[in-house]
Amino acid sequence: MNAMKRILVVDDEPLNINILVELLKDNYKMMAAKSGLQALKAARSANKPDLILLDIMMPEMDGYEVCRQLKADESTKDIPVIFVSAMSESLDETKGFDVGAIDYITKPISPKTLEARVHTHLALTQQTAALKEAHLLIQQQQQRMQNELNVARDIQLSMVPTVFPKDDAVDIYATLKPAREIGGDFYDAFMIDSESLCLCVGDVSGKGAPAALFMAMTKTLIKSYASSDFSTASILTRVNDELCEGNDENLFVTVFLAILNVHTGELRFTNAGHNYPYIIKDDKSLLTLKQKHGPIIAAMEGLVYKEDTMFLDKNDTLFLFTDGVTEAMNPEEEPYGDARLEHFLEVQDCKDVKVSVNALMQDIASYENSAHQTDDITVLSCFYSGQTVLATLSLSIEDQFENIRLLTDACDQFCEAHAISSAVNQKVNLVLDDLVNNIISYGYKDKNTAHTIDVVFKQMERELMIIIEDDAMPFNPFDREHEGVHLSLDEREIGGLGIHLVKKLMHTFQYQRKANKNIVVLTIQL
Amino acid sequence: MQLTYSEKNGYKVVHFEGSLDTVTSPEVEKTINALIDADTVKFVFNFDKTRYMSSSGLRVLLATAKKLKGKGELKISNLNEMIEEVFDISGFNQILNVYKTEEEALA
Repeated sequence: MNAMKRILVVDDEPLNINILVELLKDNYKMMAAKSGLQALKAARSANKPDLILLDIMMPEMDGYEVCRQLKADESTKDIPVIFVSAMSESLDETKGFDVGAIDYITKPISPKTLEARVHTHLALTQQTAALKEAHLLIQQQQQRMQNELNVARDIQLSMVPTVFPKDDAVDIYATLKPAREIGGDFYDAFMIDSESLCLCVGDVSGKGAPAALFMAMTKTLIKSYASSDFSTASILTRVNDELCEGNDENLFVTVFLAILNVHTGELRFTNAGHNYPYIIKDDKSLLTLKQKHGPIIAAMEGLVYKEDTMFLDKNDTLFLFTDGVTEAMNPEEEPYGDARLEHFLEVQDCKDVKVSVNALMQDIASYENSAHQTDDITVLSCFYSGQTVLATLSLSIEDQFENIRLLTDACDQFCEAHAISSAVNQKVNLVLDDLVNNIISYGYKDKNTAHTIDVVFKQMERELMIIIEDDAMPFNPFDREHEGVHLSLDEREIGGLGIHLVKKLMHTFQYQRKANKNIVVLTIQL
Repeated sequence: MQLTYSEKNGYKVVHFEGSLDTVTSPEVEKTINALIDADTVKFVFNFDKTRYMSSSGLRVLLATAKKLKGKGELKISNLNEMIEEVFDISGFNQILNVYKTEEEALA
């Protein structure tokens, strides 16, 4: 049972107070105030009333003013106020409601009416408070769910690589666009050894944190088994058994896993319930990899997955994706579909993997238009050039500005010896000058210790690759966007241009931090 | 980097032979500043014999143009294809006075 509610009676006439107190005292705890000021004081006290019966005509401060002040105060504004008055003109009633009263009782008072009104308003107030509390609880829960989704998304995005293995023979790019409610897509691309490239794309069923964690587990298991097992069938067979254990949420994963020998082009792959990847041939024809090697992963223990092998031709592009691509909906709820994707791949130059993947994501986004993205969209594209290295030159310099000349001189000689055009030669010189200058100027805190900067030139069939390694502090030169190329002479800052030039002059540029070294890999087309 | 000079139509014509980069830029900047301090304020920089120019070189040009603003002139001529591309990428072709040939710059 609720404790007895408190009712404050405010009137300058003690007789009137007595009448009301007598009428209500059996069911309520009664309080009294003989003036407006006393009423305000009582309303703000520790034992606040639950309802106020307020006389209008009082000397000094009338009932309207008392009510106005109660409603203006955060601590008292929710206490319901009922005016009690001898006056019954409608004008006064309007004024009473204007200042925030909830009801009006006119004298002479009918005991039944008084009791009924008081009871009703107390009940109403209680219900309103309960509703408010429930609303707050819902808001908090929604916030908690949103936080959980955000954590899940962070896990998911931090798990997939954004720097891809750069080999002479392959070019890789991948991207994952999470839906608002996480769906658990993932991809991976890493070198197992100097010639084996592992590629995978997967899609975990389910949403939210459980799916994200399951995805993290799947990706980690695949990577760990791939380090010692070169059979995609065997890797997925083991991952399946591992994931089946303790899979209480009944989640499952579709996976396409491939290992490419970058020297021979041999492609070993297993498709576990995943949608079919494509190979885009040099002549733009499409090949669909329709081989299936077993059901989805994590559904049934003890399954043995199979695998296929084939050879990629030079200039083939292996294109992996999740069903978020083909099931992307436009506002009319029509899916993007296989036909549209195939058409895109036939028209687009897929050899430039980064450009083509981004173009596809753009195409999907404009197809979806304003429609809500319901599933993760993942795309991984691997262009196999099969290029072999024709010539290599490696050299190391100490971190002195004048040594940059040794690099550019070596570049001159290398270019001349291998018939590389002067335009390429000078662009590479500029880029070496700017990047190595940056390293020497800003990379080292211990100015007195000598450091070595290693540079490798690799001439391939279609491009020249330049690799710069240094042991300076971690710094990704390509992180910052240079702004201000369009500024006037007065507005231009002196400096900050070098990286912008590098980005524009080179065909590709990449940074990664590996074993205490900054590694920059650049390519320029020959 | 080798700098050679000639006087034509009231302009100091400077030829830059070699590469304007990290190693050569500080010296070149010093030389040009000395000329400006000695009241030479009208220049044509002829890059006919310049192989490449890195951002260190661009920095010298920008600094020189800013120094001469309001009291002199800086004209640029004879950019090779590669340096022209660098000017284009960096927007320098819009903020500096660039001419195809030295003759056009002097006209």
